[in-house]
Amino acid sequence: MRPLNISLRFDVSVTPQPWTLASGLRRLVLWAVLAVVAVFFAVPIVWLLLETTRAGQTGPDSQVGAPLAFGSLHQLVQNWQVLFSGLVGQIGTWLANSALYSGSGVLIAVGLGVPAGYGLATFDFFGRRLLLFATMIAMLIPSTALVLPLVLEAHSLGMLSSPLAVILPYGFFPFGVYIAYLYFNTPRVFGLLAAARSDGCNEWQAFRHVALPLSTPILGLVVVLDFIASWTNYFLPWGMYLAFGCAGSAGTTIACQTTRYPVTLGVAQQLMAGAPAPFAIPQPASVTLQSLQMQTNAPASVEALLILVSVAPVIVVLVIAQRWIASGRLQGIFV
Amino acid sequence: MSRERPGSLEAVREAAELLGYRLVSARRWKRRRPRLRRVRPQSPRRRSRAGYLFVAGYALLLGVVGLWPAGYALNLALTTFDGAFSGVSNFTGSYNQGFLIPAFENVGKFMLIWLTALIVMVIGLSLLMHTLARRVGAAFRFIFYVPAAFAGSASVLLWLFLLQPGLSPWDFVLHALGYKTLGDTLISGNLPVIYALIAFWTGAGSWILVIHGALTNVPEDVLEAAALDGAGPLQTALRIKLPMIKKWVVYMLIVALAGGTQLFAEPQLVSVANLGLVSPVWSPNTLATYLAFQYNNFNYAAAISIDLLVVALVCAGILVFRTRLFKAD
Repeated sequence: MRPLNISLRFDVSVTPQPWTLASGLRRLVLWAVLAVVAVFFAVPIVWLLLETTRAGQTGPDSQVGAPLAFGSLHQLVQNWQVLFSGLVGQIGTWLANSALYSGSGVLIAVGLGVPAGYGLATFDFFGRRLLLFATMIAMLIPSTALVLPLVLEAHSLGMLSSPLAVILPYGFFPFGVYIAYLYFNTPRVFGLLAAARSDGCNEWQAFRHVALPLSTPILGLVVVLDFIASWTNYFLPWGMYLAFGCAGSAGTTIACQTTRYPVTLGVAQQLMAGAPAPFAIPQPASVTLQSLQMQTNAPASVEALLILVSVAPVIVVLVIAQRWIASGRLQGIFV
Repeated sequence: MSRERPGSLEAVREAAELLGYRLVSARRWKRRRPRLRRVRPQSPRRRSRAGYLFVAGYALLLGVVGLWPAGYALNLALTTFDGAFSGVSNFTGSYNQGFLIPAFENVGKFMLIWLTALIVMVIGLSLLMHTLARRVGAAFRFIFYVPAAFAGSASVLLWLFLLQPGLSPWDFVLHALGYKTLGDTLISGNLPVIYALIAFWTGAGSWILVIHGALTNVPEDVLEAAALDGAGPLQTALRIKLPMIKKWVVYMLIVALAGGTQLFAEPQLVSVANLGLVSPVWSPNTLATYLAFQYNNFNYAAAISIDLLVVALVCAGILVFRTRLFKAD
């Protein structure tokens, strides 16, 4: 007997609710709350953008009055020239370093991570579950938790000033492995791979010609997330390039590696006003900090431009990849 | 389906396999009960050594930048300066110095503010934005997320400008609070609030994306059913949506807790900027790095970093083994 299909369908047409005082008030509150929070998030960036167009003569003090005002485009060009003239440091070198470190890290993360996720998803081998759980634990540990151990390890290996000291940790991106694992771990992929093998593909060809072309969406996601995490990393390069040499450690053997700095360290360098305080909790003394003391004599507007330039690549990536990031975060992972 | 005669050897074997058993003693199956053994379900994965080739590079990297440094730090934490085994003396020693507990207290105050802000603001904003049109919501989420680009040192330097009376766009707020110089703003009582502000400004947007992603997974028909039953927007939010995203809120809290104990960039940079007024050992991580790099006391530093690593491992372990957020098969 053929089963009888009964399809019941209710069409409920929801007409817009008539305007009432209560619903109007509710919308008003909703928009007010969102507006206030949006102002909190946006004003620092708006301030930064405006500040880069203003003149600053000697220091932050000279900027008193009307903080949110537009200067002139001409001034922006001048600030740009000052920034790249070497007043605040080797900004061009720092940007190139950041690009080198993050770019190499991303290449390693993709080149090792995607095959690893594929291997975990489609092969059964001794230690597979152990490696999978290690990956999940590693991706949920804040990356800062391993910085000091990494610096101590690099110190013991004499690798503190090597670019590899930051590139290898940037290339270790367990979240990318997990994403690739989830992506390949589906019956659809298993079916495609079985078909490829029965058509005579070996394991490498099955990966290269079947799995890899399927994986473009996660390639983009891994690239974007690892790039952002690497570019904005401050603690790790601080430990590798600055902490031993420049912070005035007792047994300093390594010179200050300013030419190795990524741009996050360059930005932080602006604050390095002098030798660190002695090891005691300082008491609020008679000295009061009048205003931000900078390493160089650069005005606040040039420092603002430095901040903006240092994060510009990340903002560009964010704008381009907004949709990918949203879907990646949707997987519930936060790097 | 078996084409065999019911009761034949083949039929029994097939039936057993369907139920996930293997017929062990086929020859003696005429005994009253055939001997069966439970077999593991057939894995869809290929059992092949080729798997090692695909994971080898990554596993090596995991060893070099994950296990090795952790093991090296553990080794340092358990030995003295000249390498002799010293048990827990580095842990007690770093504790007895008297800076570790205040550092954890500082971070505790910071996290109290930060986690509260995360819960209230992230959940509240996500629920609010979920009632908006999709494009409008996306625009707001973008505004909230852009500061993530400033993570690390850029956000701290930017906020030092924003906290300076005279320069800040919020000058009127600082003025109302009676702050005339940057030193007034950066008094030690304010530091947990300031660090929480910076962390929230750079970090909240990511969490709003996560919680929003969880909200979009709430089935549409559930919401329609609630609306038909007469639930208003507030009731829908509190009684339908909130329970359905609860596990993501737990996830957010645990990850934020693990990350919060690691606080480094903010206290380190503010301490540098405000030399002599802000402790350079404000958080456990700044204390550990200070011990390592100012005093070459790698053993105490390693002990503190192991303390922090244990906190992170416990948090990650809870998420992996006690929640059902991450599937491993």
